[in-house]
Amino acid sequence: MAESTAWVLALDQQLRAAVGEREMVHLIEAPTLLEVPRSPFYCRQVLVWNDAVLPAMDLAAWLRRQPTHRAQTLVGVFAYQTRPGADPEYGALLLASIPMRASVTDEQACALPQQPDDWRTLAISCFKQNNQPIPILDLPHIFGGGLL
Amino acid sequence: MNAPTQPAWNDLQATPAFAVLTLDGRKWLVPQAEIRALESLLDIDREVRIPHSVGAVAFAGEWWPVYSLSGELALLPNLPDGRRACPLLDNGMDRFGLVCDQVETLPEPPRRLAVPACMALPDSPIQALVLLKDGLGCVTTTERLAALLAAATENADG
Repeated sequence: MAESTAWVLALDQQLRAAVGEREMVHLIEAPTLLEVPRSPFYCRQVLVWNDAVLPAMDLAAWLRRQPTHRAQTLVGVFAYQTRPGADPEYGALLLASIPMRASVTDEQACALPQQPDDWRTLAISCFKQNNQPIPILDLPHIFGGGLL
Repeated sequence: MNAPTQPAWNDLQATPAFAVLTLDGRKWLVPQAEIRALESLLDIDREVRIPHSVGAVAFAGEWWPVYSLSGELALLPNLPDGRRACPLLDNGMDRFGLVCDQVETLPEPPRRLAVPACMALPDSPIQALVLLKDGLGCVTTTERLAALLAAATENADG
């Protein structure tokens, strides 16, 4: 039975998603985010991190098709590769709470949630945890412009 | 996606100097060489009405239409409070004035950072981002602003 470790992310108070253990590289509470004009409503800000400008994406806003109000800001910095062997690239996701570590086995695989109905655009697969489906995010697609 | 092509990116990296145009607090950078003159708002003749402009400035024997844009580059029908300067932009093809809160020259060329792919809307006028002492700046060009103005006036007429 193959077992791997994931981070379960709170995209807002209800929506959950996961990434691989090595994909999350940093967590920043109350970060300084800079607004970029004429950018998508779900990705209006950037995070300056290690001398780079990272998109700070609100996936809950994208899934709900409207901007979300956040009382506090927490961002995770995530690494991804666009192809095997490529240098890692980085992006940030707005989160509602501290990510939780989870062990996942093949037996937990399940279908993507039906609602919101755009999960298939964001996710490569899904697993069930405590009877709740947790989609696994396709970070290269999300940060590579796949949501535009 | 709106990622610049490699020649465009190379041209951008080779631009030696930039001016910072402040609109509603937002910083827009254009190549310094594309600023032909800096006029006062008092020089704008509001009676010369080119469609969707806020007037025109007489310069070098021609009327240059003057436009008002918000910090998000939406076309405005009026002059918001705080606008104090009117740079005349000229790239050889497009010529117009833009009322700004402030116009400054950067003492040194900033490091230009690519716009993240997931933020680059197809019609975005932003070529690159720069980190300034007081926040983020967006690099654009007279050509891109002219295209945006053309699209905005077409939509307004439509």
